[in-house]
This record gives sequence, C-alpha cells and structure tokens, in this order.
Amino acid sequence: MNGFLEYVPGDSLLHRLNPVAKLLFAIVFAITCFCTGNLVFLCCMFALGIAMAASCGMMKQVLGLMKAVFVFSLILAILLVFTTPQGEMLVELPWGYIGTGSLLAAATTIVRLEAAAIPLFLTFYVTKISDLSNSVVKVLHVPYKYAFTFASTVHFIPVFMNDMKGIMEAQTARGIEFDVGGIVNKVRLMVPLCVPLLVSSVRKTNSAAIAAEVRGFNLRTRESGYKQYPFSGADFVVLALAVGLLAAAICLTVLL
Amino acid sequence: MIEIKDFTFRYRESSSPVVEGINLVIPDGAFVGITGSAGSGKSTLTYAMNGIVPHCYPGDFFGSVTVGGLDTCEASLTDISRIVGSVCQDIDSQIVTSIVEDEMLYGLENFGFAHDQIEGRIGRALADMGIADLRSRVIASLSGGQKQKVAIASILALEPKVLVLDEPTAELDPASSLQVFGLLARYAREHGTTVVVVEQKIALLSQFADMLVIVDGGKIRFADAPADVLAYSEELLEIGVNCPRATTLMNRLAATGLYAGPVCRDVEEACRALSEVIL
Repeated sequence: MNGFLEYVPGDSLLHRLNPVAKLLFAIVFAITCFCTGNLVFLCCMFALGIAMAASCGMMKQVLGLMKAVFVFSLILAILLVFTTPQGEMLVELPWGYIGTGSLLAAATTIVRLEAAAIPLFLTFYVTKISDLSNSVVKVLHVPYKYAFTFASTVHFIPVFMNDMKGIMEAQTARGIEFDVGGIVNKVRLMVPLCVPLLVSSVRKTNSAAIAAEVRGFNLRTRESGYKQYPFSGADFVVLALAVGLLAAAICLTVLL
Repeated sequence: MIEIKDFTFRYRESSSPVVEGINLVIPDGAFVGITGSAGSGKSTLTYAMNGIVPHCYPGDFFGSVTVGGLDTCEASLTDISRIVGSVCQDIDSQIVTSIVEDEMLYGLENFGFAHDQIEGRIGRALADMGIADLRSRVIASLSGGQKQKVAIASILALEPKVLVLDEPTAELDPASSLQVFGLLARYAREHGTTVVVVEQKIALLSQFADMLVIVDGGKIRFADAPADVLAYSEELLEIGVNCPRATTLMNRLAATGLYAGPVCRDVEEACRALSEVIL
C-alpha cells in the first residue's frame, strides 16, 4: 500500500519520462493555469491532467488529491462568491451582490487549483524521489544539499503521517472518539497529539541526518550520481507541449 | 583494531556520565556482542566507535577511542565512516530513498566508488543478506524485517572494515534474527570484517559472538568469550541481563555439584551435557 506522495512503480510513458522533464512540465503546467482565467481552457487543462493520471493508472491517487484540493479551493470559492460582485445580479447582499460573474470566478478558482495540482502531485507518484533529486543535481545543477533536503522532506511526509496514524490509533484504543462531533471536534482532539508527533519528528530528522552523514553525505558531488538522465525525444515533446500550453494561455489572456 | 582507553562520556544535557572508565580492545575480524539493560550505555559505546559521539552528540569526552588507527575524536565523521559502517537502531530514519536499489546506491554514490564497481557491490551485498529478489521493490511495501536487511545490505555494499550495528534484529522474528546473525557471522568470516553488535538477545550473541561485552551503569562488567561470561548467569540476572534458561539451569546444577562440564549456551548443549550426566 503506497502512501501520500510515495512512488508507485509502473511502466507508463509518464514513468519513463526524464524526471527533469516531468518536473518542468508540471511547473509550467501549473503556471499556465494561473496565466489565464478562461474557464473553458482551464477545463481542458483539467481534462488533460485527468487523462495523464489515467494513462499511468493513478486515478485513485488523483481522486484523493482532488478531494483535498477541492476542500481548500471551496473555501476560496466561497470567499470569491461573497466578495466579487460581478455580472448579472442573482442575490443582493448588504455589502454588494452575488452575480453570475461571482459564480464564474468561484468555478474558475476551483478548476484552476484542481488542474494546477494534478501534474505536480502526479510527478511524485510516477518518479522515484531519488531520481528526482539526482536529476535536478545532474541536469539543472541544483546543489545536492538542497535537492536532498527537498527529497527528504517528501520522503518523510508518509513516515510522519504513519506516525500520526499510530498516535491516533493509540488514543482511539484509550477511548478517544475522533469520529464523533465532526471536523471541529476532530481537530480539537488532534491538536494535543501534535506534541508527541513533533518530538518524534525531530528525533527522526536528527537520526536521519546522522545516518546520512555516516554514509558520506558530505562527500557528495554532482558527479557522484551513478545514474544518467539523458533527454529523449518524448521529453522534448512534453516540454514543447508545456511551452505551447503556456503560450496559448497567454494568448487567450491578451486577446480575450 | 578498535582500542578504547579510559573512555568516559557525558552528554551535554546529562548531569552524570553515560559511560565511565571504559577500557576495551577489539581485535581485527572479531565478532563482538554488546548487551546490557536499557540505559546502561551500550549504544553510547557504539556511538564512540563510529564517531557519532562526539561529532553528532556533543558532550564531555575523556579518554580515547581509536578505530583502525583513527582517533574518533580527532578524525572527521566522514573519515571515520570510510572505515566504520553503521546501522542505526531506527531503520525508518536510516532509509533515505523509496526503492531498495536506490538505497543501496546512496552510500556508494556518496563515497564516490568507481561506477564499474557499483553494480558488483550491490549484487554481492543483496546476495549476502539473501534479499536479491527485493532489489526493485518499493521500500514502503517491505516488512520491518526486510527493511532491516536492506539497511544492513546498504552498509555491506560499502565493504567497511568495521561494522557497527545497533539492535539490528529489533523488528525481526526469532527465525529471521537467527538468519541475520548467521549472515553477519558468515560475512565477517569471509571478509575479515570486525562486527560490533548491540543486541538484547543474549542467546543469539552467545551463539555467534567471539566476545561478549556486558555493560551496566555505564561500565563494562564482563568482556570475555561468551561461555566465560555466561558462567555468571546469576550476576547477569542481577544487572538485568537474562541468560538463556538452559544456561541458568546448567549453572545452578554446576553450583550444586551435579554438573562439572563447560557452560551450556543453548538447549542443545544442555541436552548433550545432561545426557552425559544421566547416562
């Protein structure tokens, strides 16, 4: 069972792409989503993201992600609905009104965030974290210390999530009911558990730093990496697609 | 050779020394087991051998610890790591990648081994630990025992002169623990590697170790061949080290004059000794 942001082995096209190409594509894809407010274009981006997830068999992971992003984007959308009096008035408010434009802005925000998030998260599911860090060191010349810090952060997310799950299970066994009383009660019960999680996280991080150091972390150079990450034709096509999408988004924004 | 002279260490946040007046000489190629009750200072003793003390955990360090001629206080942790391979107690913290093969590569890449050597080293280390079939597996999908073997194999790939392991079978069942100790003992024999293992399972240590070190209250109480140490099963019990029952039984028989043979380390030896006495 793979956890949050943990690599899922596979042999799809996305799995085989160069890690740097995947990362750059995901970043440019996300930027593209923020370069246009065209809902139709954003829906197409969203559909493309879903298609990418389906092509590598990551629909389950992406659906989980979409749910989490939806909750966050819904909060923003509600704020927009009440604070963006645009278009034809639908409901009058003491400080303005809710209009068709408000709803459009809210829908655009939700679709934009969902679309932008999918390729970014997908990158982690289809790329080994060590390949991601090693390739950015080799290809983009990012200092290894930064790449390792980033990789370790991602690596430890599921570890800490498991720790939190363990702590919650231990508390449940002692009679704490996390499922009763809704989200507010759950958060109220979880806050005190953050202390043992923090203590355990600090200890684990310290142990990890020591373990890395006794395995020659300080000797690492750009040339140390055993694997090579050459770009193939498919990588260039993917990067060209990303640039094309960005150009299209900018054109739509300028022209419409 | 590992040479510890008058070693005393107090962690910065502690009020009293964790280990005090330690003197120990471990010859090259020896398989040494260190045991003792919780908080007795056995882990700190190994930290002194692999340089984690004082380089990562600062404090008051007295005496000297030399490993392969390197003074662990003077040499950098990186230089010590070229000689000493360490397997930590918390395996999840030691593992830094998501795939077994990448975990094997991590140390080899860092230490800058020639690329044409890397494949052979990975293959040998995985085979030595009996996990060649796990090479492409996602580490998160492995059991605790398999992770432990991966962590050990990733250090074996570096082919260090000294191997220091802190409770390497903590998450293993008895059969797997026996297997790991067997693999470590065979590896040490074949490569001439010095192995220092901190372990609670004294029965396992006595079966495989050349020397058993018992630590109590930060001091070495016993450091001798396993049979010679196990002869003091009553004293060991007093300091929280529980000898195998077969050993305790035979020692009591010896104390009452019913048995005069050598110390029995396990049930098989006790059975043989008893059958000789009875028949």
